[in-house]
Amino acid sequence: MRYFIITIFAALTLMGCDEPIQLDIDQTPEHIVIEGLVTDIPGRQSVKITRSVGFYDKGKTPRITDALVTVKDDLGEVVTFVHNPRNHADSAGIYIPQSKFTGKVGRTYTLTVDADGQRYEATDLLASVIVMDSLKYQIDEDQEEDPEDEGKIYELLMFAKEPQNQLNWYLFKFYRNDSLTYFNDTDIYYTDDEFLAENISGAESPVYYGKNDVAKVEVYSLSRVGYVFYNDLSTLLNNDGGGMFGPLPSSPRTNLSNGALGFFQVSSVNTSTIKIE
Amino acid sequence: MLRSLLVLTLILISLAARSQEKVTLNGYVKDADNGEELIGVTVYIPQLKAGTVTNDYGFYALTVPKGTYTVQYSYVGYKIQDVTIELQQNVSRNINLPVEAELMQEVVIEEKPLNENVVAVQMSKNTININQVRKLPALFGEIDIIKNIQMLPGVVSAGEGSSAFFVRGGSADQNLILIDEAPVYDPSHLFGLFSVFNADVIKDSEIYKGGIPARFGGRLSSILDVRTKDGNNKHFEGSGGIGSMAARLAVEGPIVKDKASYIVSARRSYVDLFLKAANEDNLVHFYDVNAKINWKHNNSNRFFLAFYTGRDVFSFGNDFGFAWGNMTGTFRWNHLFNEKLFLNTSVIASNFDYKLELKDAINGFEWVSNLQELSVKNDLSYALGTRNELSFGYHLTGRRFSPGEISPTGSSSFFAPQKQQHMYALDHAFYISDLQRVTDRITLDYGVRLSIFQSVGKGDVYLYEDPQDNIKRERTDTLHYDAWETIKSYVNLEPRVGIRYMLKEGQSLKLSYNRMVQNTHLMSAGTVPVPFNTWNPSSYYLRPQVADQIAGGYFRNFMDNQIEFSAEVFYKDIKDVTDFADNAQLFFNKDLSTEYRQGKSWSYGSEWMVSKTRGKLTGMLSYTWSKVMRKIPGVNRGEAFPANHDRRNAINLQMAYDHNDKWTFGATFNYSTGRPFTLSSGKYEYGSYNPDVIVERNSYRLPDFHRLDLSATLNPRKNANRKWKGQWVFSVYNAYNRQNPFTIYTRTKKDDDGNIIGDGTEKEARMIYLFPFLPSVTYNFKF
Repeated sequence: MRYFIITIFAALTLMGCDEPIQLDIDQTPEHIVIEGLVTDIPGRQSVKITRSVGFYDKGKTPRITDALVTVKDDLGEVVTFVHNPRNHADSAGIYIPQSKFTGKVGRTYTLTVDADGQRYEATDLLASVIVMDSLKYQIDEDQEEDPEDEGKIYELLMFAKEPQNQLNWYLFKFYRNDSLTYFNDTDIYYTDDEFLAENISGAESPVYYGKNDVAKVEVYSLSRVGYVFYNDLSTLLNNDGGGMFGPLPSSPRTNLSNGALGFFQVSSVNTSTIKIE
Repeated sequence: MLRSLLVLTLILISLAARSQEKVTLNGYVKDADNGEELIGVTVYIPQLKAGTVTNDYGFYALTVPKGTYTVQYSYVGYKIQDVTIELQQNVSRNINLPVEAELMQEVVIEEKPLNENVVAVQMSKNTININQVRKLPALFGEIDIIKNIQMLPGVVSAGEGSSAFFVRGGSADQNLILIDEAPVYDPSHLFGLFSVFNADVIKDSEIYKGGIPARFGGRLSSILDVRTKDGNNKHFEGSGGIGSMAARLAVEGPIVKDKASYIVSARRSYVDLFLKAANEDNLVHFYDVNAKINWKHNNSNRFFLAFYTGRDVFSFGNDFGFAWGNMTGTFRWNHLFNEKLFLNTSVIASNFDYKLELKDAINGFEWVSNLQELSVKNDLSYALGTRNELSFGYHLTGRRFSPGEISPTGSSSFFAPQKQQHMYALDHAFYISDLQRVTDRITLDYGVRLSIFQSVGKGDVYLYEDPQDNIKRERTDTLHYDAWETIKSYVNLEPRVGIRYMLKEGQSLKLSYNRMVQNTHLMSAGTVPVPFNTWNPSSYYLRPQVADQIAGGYFRNFMDNQIEFSAEVFYKDIKDVTDFADNAQLFFNKDLSTEYRQGKSWSYGSEWMVSKTRGKLTGMLSYTWSKVMRKIPGVNRGEAFPANHDRRNAINLQMAYDHNDKWTFGATFNYSTGRPFTLSSGKYEYGSYNPDVIVERNSYRLPDFHRLDLSATLNPRKNANRKWKGQWVFSVYNAYNRQNPFTIYTRTKKDDDGNIIGDGTEKEARMIYLFPFLPSVTYNFKF
């Protein structure tokens, strides 16, 4: 909304301009960043632990590889996560369960991370997710006329029944030939069901596809705090800068304790795939 | 507090008892040419060293011992009238002031008596002289009093291209903006590029920044009181103009000569007409319509009916659009019970609404929101002896807040209809104040306003496990209230005191204190409100905001009142200033109360101003230093931070030079410290995103802002002999093309085409500038 208003505003003035500037930024001490995920799909449980860096720093952020990570459910079962057991170079900082472990709908999970002599904790509920009845596709007229990405002119149409008797929150991820795709790099696709009617018949995807692309949609259930986290993160990523029309930028609210950045997400996942022909 | 009320009453009664054996002179003072009543004309009897000024309706009343006096009526821009009046009984005398012969053909109405700056008790007040504003440069040539207000001492803006203004550390929603007494909830066109006030119909506008009179209330920081013209009751005339953005036309004239008149004026932006012709389907336009009928039934009964409507309409393609607008109406009856007692009764309605619409079969919806207000005001003034002028009154206001209603519009829309409950509020205010000339040197203006605010049903109030937990928002119970049932009442007594002490001729010291209470709160967490923000009344969770302000000043006029000087200092303390939690969700939130955070705000500063009001060269130079801080529990970890509009230094210069009867030149210069903003102090990885690390609020500042604008007005000589008088205004905005920062934001480092540079981990900060060097031409006409 805010960024949208700024854009309109800049367009209204017709001649406004937008250019990079170098800021003199006071760097604060590093923060620990935790990106935890527990799902009801085998093999999709992981915890990534990193550190924040300076605004103008280049390259990947530092990984923390010596943390103690456990996930406990509300029945008292504890699973230990170990750091990158297969030693993949690009999996540094990622912890996976030591033993076979899959989340279950209705269970509550608590993450504990001991790192740098500090303890960080988070608890979240694994809620059920909407089930996609079907996926279709059609040509999007605007993209056909003026494609953002050459040849990517098909949009997906999603069909589902939204349960009206409970509060739900969802996160969507769109894949193009197995690669996670966004329309803009700061987009997050999430919603609550407050404004949703029961019959979702043909909700359009924000990501476009070309002929012969394989389109995959993942829907994740979120808890209320998960929705809040992604909403805040989206607001932060798309902030108009120091609260001209929108709120001042601030750190997303999270379920993590002790000042850690990031989030511990616990979700059930529904996946649908279709090939554009 | 009750005790001081009692004392006040006693004083008043004792004064009333003394005022026998006296007679009252009263009447209206009007412009001899068009019959417009003049506000603030000095009426003075030299023999008695007694005098008064005409009120907002052009009416004056003066009680003096029996005798024959020479009464002097003076007003800048008009010939001074000396009238000898024999006062053996009460006398009504209406005065027509002829306009002083001017170089310009244009009628120059200076809106104040010659030395009001020094002698009035009122301090911290500025009059915006619309004819002076016309001589100054304007953005796109569109004259805008709000842009002018932003250049007054003690007032700052958030940046250019915005209609929001901040008075002595107050936030943008703490200004009561009135057009013919009706509140305007959002004064912006095009998100603030222009304001809703069409210069063609403005007669008088005043802003009170401190020492606010008891008859005003409801907002903490300022009152902007804009009055429109009554219409020429002598003969028909018209005026208008075409600028680079909008076209204007106003016509006025008598309905019954000298008795009844009308004025109708309209303004519309026309850029969309060209865009439409060019087959562009992203369109935007705005318009304003003002109309007024004015009927002087007799000297004791006058009626006014004023109407305003304005709207902005945006449409993007054929499917998405939004609009907002204000509509106000004022019915006013001025009645003279007798020579001493003057009544103004007004019935006022105001509506603000906005609408967003997406036309689509599947995700189509319409979102509407509005705020309606109806009020009745009774204001009385009573001349009590030669030394006291009493004002008292009762205002009743009812408001209905409809924060939002969403309805699906498409045939198979997946939106479920949603409605946020309406909120209702009743607001009673009683006030009394006395302007008392204690001695020749000392004049007091003291009074009190009692505000009784009730949040009433029908409505539900949710109780929460923790009312400030905006994540879980766990409701524990719901309280149901029937229609008109009181949900919560807030009673506040607001003392207002001003004192003026005359030093030597042409110099005075003034001191004032006011308490203001605000019970309507804007739900905006940004620096600049947008029309989509909604208002909430004080209620179960939201407490009234209360401001105490003390101000002192030194006032002096030089060179036969041609040059006015003032130096003021102020301190303002706000209790329960309304703010919001970090990451507050203010749009369509049924648990909005969990986002409220109220705390403290304090501001102080000094304002220096020199202005020259007469002669070929006129203008104003001011310097303001001020500081405004906030400390809000639950915001910025509870630590104090500079408010978004904390701009420490501001220098403003406005100048107009009447070169000859053909050319007038104008210039404005503005410098101010950049506004504070919140900046990243690092970044981190989450998924594929690189968000900023945000630690401290408002710890950085945008670079300083400064800009010079120039204008030249040409009145062709042939005007003199014609009914049709044309005028060309050439202006240049940002004459030396300064790139003034509007905002700074961050993003992943990209090239100009939007392609990511490097591996996508690098970020960059970018600054948005709005207006470069920008020339414009406006043609104005009168007939």
